[in-house]
Amino acid sequence: MHETGVVMLDVSKGKDVRVGAVAGAQSRTRLISLCVNGEWHEVAVKPRIMLVEVIRDTIGLTGTKASCESGICGACTVLIEGRPVLACITLAVECDGKQIRTVEGLAEGEKLSVVQEAFLDQGAVQCGFCTPGMLMSATALLERNPKPTRQDINKALEGNLCRCTGYNAIVDAVLQASGQENVKPVMK
Amino acid sequence: MILFDFDYERADTLEQAVALLARLQGDARALAGGTDLLPGMRMENIRPGLLVSLSGIEPEAPQVLADGSIRIDALTRLATLENSELVRRVVPMLAQSAHVVGGNQIRQMGTLGGNLCQEVRCLHLDQKHDYQFVAPCYKRGGTCCYPFPRNAPEVCWSVYMSDIAPALIALNAQVEILGETGTRRIDVEALFTGNGLKPLALSQAELLRAVLIPAAAPGFTWGFHKSTVRGGLEFGMAVLAVALQLAEDGRTCTDARIVVGAVREGPVRPVAAERSLIGKTLDEERMEQAAADTSRVVNPLPHHGFSKRHLMDNIRVHLRRTLARALQRARDQEAGR
Ligand SMILES: Cc1cc2nc3c(=O)[nH]c(=O)nc-3n(C[C@H](O)[C@H](O)[C@H](O)COP(=O)(O)OP(=O)(O)OC[C@H]3O[C@@H](n4cnc5c(N)ncnc54)[C@H](O)[C@@H]3O)c2cc1C
Ligand code: SF4
Ligand code: FES
Ligand code: FES
Repeated sequence: MHETGVVMLDVSKGKDVRVGAVAGAQSRTRLISLCVNGEWHEVAVKPRIMLVEVIRDTIGLTGTKASCESGICGACTVLIEGRPVLACITLAVECDGKQIRTVEGLAEGEKLSVVQEAFLDQGAVQCGFCTPGMLMSATALLERNPKPTRQDINKALEGNLCRCTGYNAIVDAVLQASGQENVKPVMK
Repeated sequence: MILFDFDYERADTLEQAVALLARLQGDARALAGGTDLLPGMRMENIRPGLLVSLSGIEPEAPQVLADGSIRIDALTRLATLENSELVRRVVPMLAQSAHVVGGNQIRQMGTLGGNLCQEVRCLHLDQKHDYQFVAPCYKRGGTCCYPFPRNAPEVCWSVYMSDIAPALIALNAQVEILGETGTRRIDVEALFTGNGLKPLALSQAELLRAVLIPAAAPGFTWGFHKSTVRGGLEFGMAVLAVALQLAEDGRTCTDARIVVGAVREGPVRPVAAERSLIGKTLDEERMEQAAADTSRVVNPLPHHGFSKRHLMDNIRVHLRRTLARALQRARDQEAGR
């Protein structure tokens, strides 16, 4: 699928470059290994590179979105060791040796995951920019709590902003994915 | 990406982290969950040369000590706090205060120590400085203050927004601090200086190791409320934490601690209002009066677009309700027994 290889990021040496741990020295580039959707990647990074940049720019998985890049919107949500975290405020060096799942890891080949199907069915996607983050937060919720209440879903998706749908369709989709009675499939 | 270069070390122990911070005096910062520090670095409010990562240090599980107090590792994630069966049972106010921080991802990443040591906030500070508010304000080492231009030089009225600190202060908790020369223990309340430029009473090479919360005595009850506009992913307009000690009649107050957060440079305790409750029967009028007194003495700093008048009313109304809820909780518990 994607080439696994060593890629140098951030070799810039502008006057912007600051004093490192030893006065006058530059920061060390580090070689890290990440397992993204079951595939190991080795990447060389400077400490200032974020996980979202490695996922999108180096590994080439552009499903994960970078939007606010300051921890507010949730578009960059990925699962690290099963926990939903924000890839835009996670240093890539902190992820050495970690298991990471992105939206590309949800479907099995052509077969969408139950959550993805439910999002389609409920029309929970409009522009789609928030969708990868929503799907990852919802997937993490259902893995921990297979029968969430509406309130549980609201709380789990609190950190994911959507400017289009008004959220109801998204919450319905998560309920539908959890196989609970209290929501009617729209298209099926 | 962060726009300036910095180095990174991962500490295996908290002692090692303290030693690294000490060696770099002033140019190094501890990195816990990073949810406060990294956005701050992105906006270039802080430009450390080295980050000392604490992520390789496994936090100890919360434990109840022999004297009934509970000890919680400062590296404990907020999601662990809000979901821990032990914390929810022994210190439900702490679990509740962790539950209302940020969104789920922030709670999955953020830690207790990082929450307490988070930077103060100001709309003019918390944005990139390449378009507006370019000249550094006092907080960034400059010579102006945007929202309060008439302030005396070097007075910064930024606001400390932790949701958890007010709960811990109401609970009379302490923090264990590790420094180069060993550990010291202070009240959580003493962690805050009230100075927006240097809000925490910690030296460069000191780290929080643990939070200690004393055991609750019989007759203890609590109330906690974070007042917000949307009710999610939002800093508080005010955070109210109340701990009451009731006599056996269930109505007479024998001790009261009230804390208001997210309205000043640190959490505030309205001591006179607390005293006005002690020895008295808690009826609606008395709670209303205590809330009104608190609202007056707290003197909230206008922040995030809210006027002082509005924030004062907000404190008054929500504190009255929080006190009433604390009392109701005691009654419900009595009834359920
Ligand atoms: C979108 C968003 C929403 C947020 N909402 C809230 C909210 O509603 N309520 C709230 O309270 N906070 C909120 N925060 C702030 C912050 O994310 C949380 O307070 C979080 O708990 C910080 O913990 P951390 O481990 O990520 O801290 P870090 O970012 O790792 O550290 C913060 C500061 O504390 C220092 N530090 C870290 N650990 C220690 C330690 N053990 N001892 C001494 N110093 C230490 C660091 O050096 C740094 O200066 C929000 C942040 C974002 C980005
Ligand atoms: S209140 Fe503080 S942070 Fe805000 S502009 Fe003034 S000096 Fe800067
Ligand atoms: S891009 Fe990460 S939270 Fe918005
Ligand atoms: S579908 Fe457009 S932001 Fe959610």
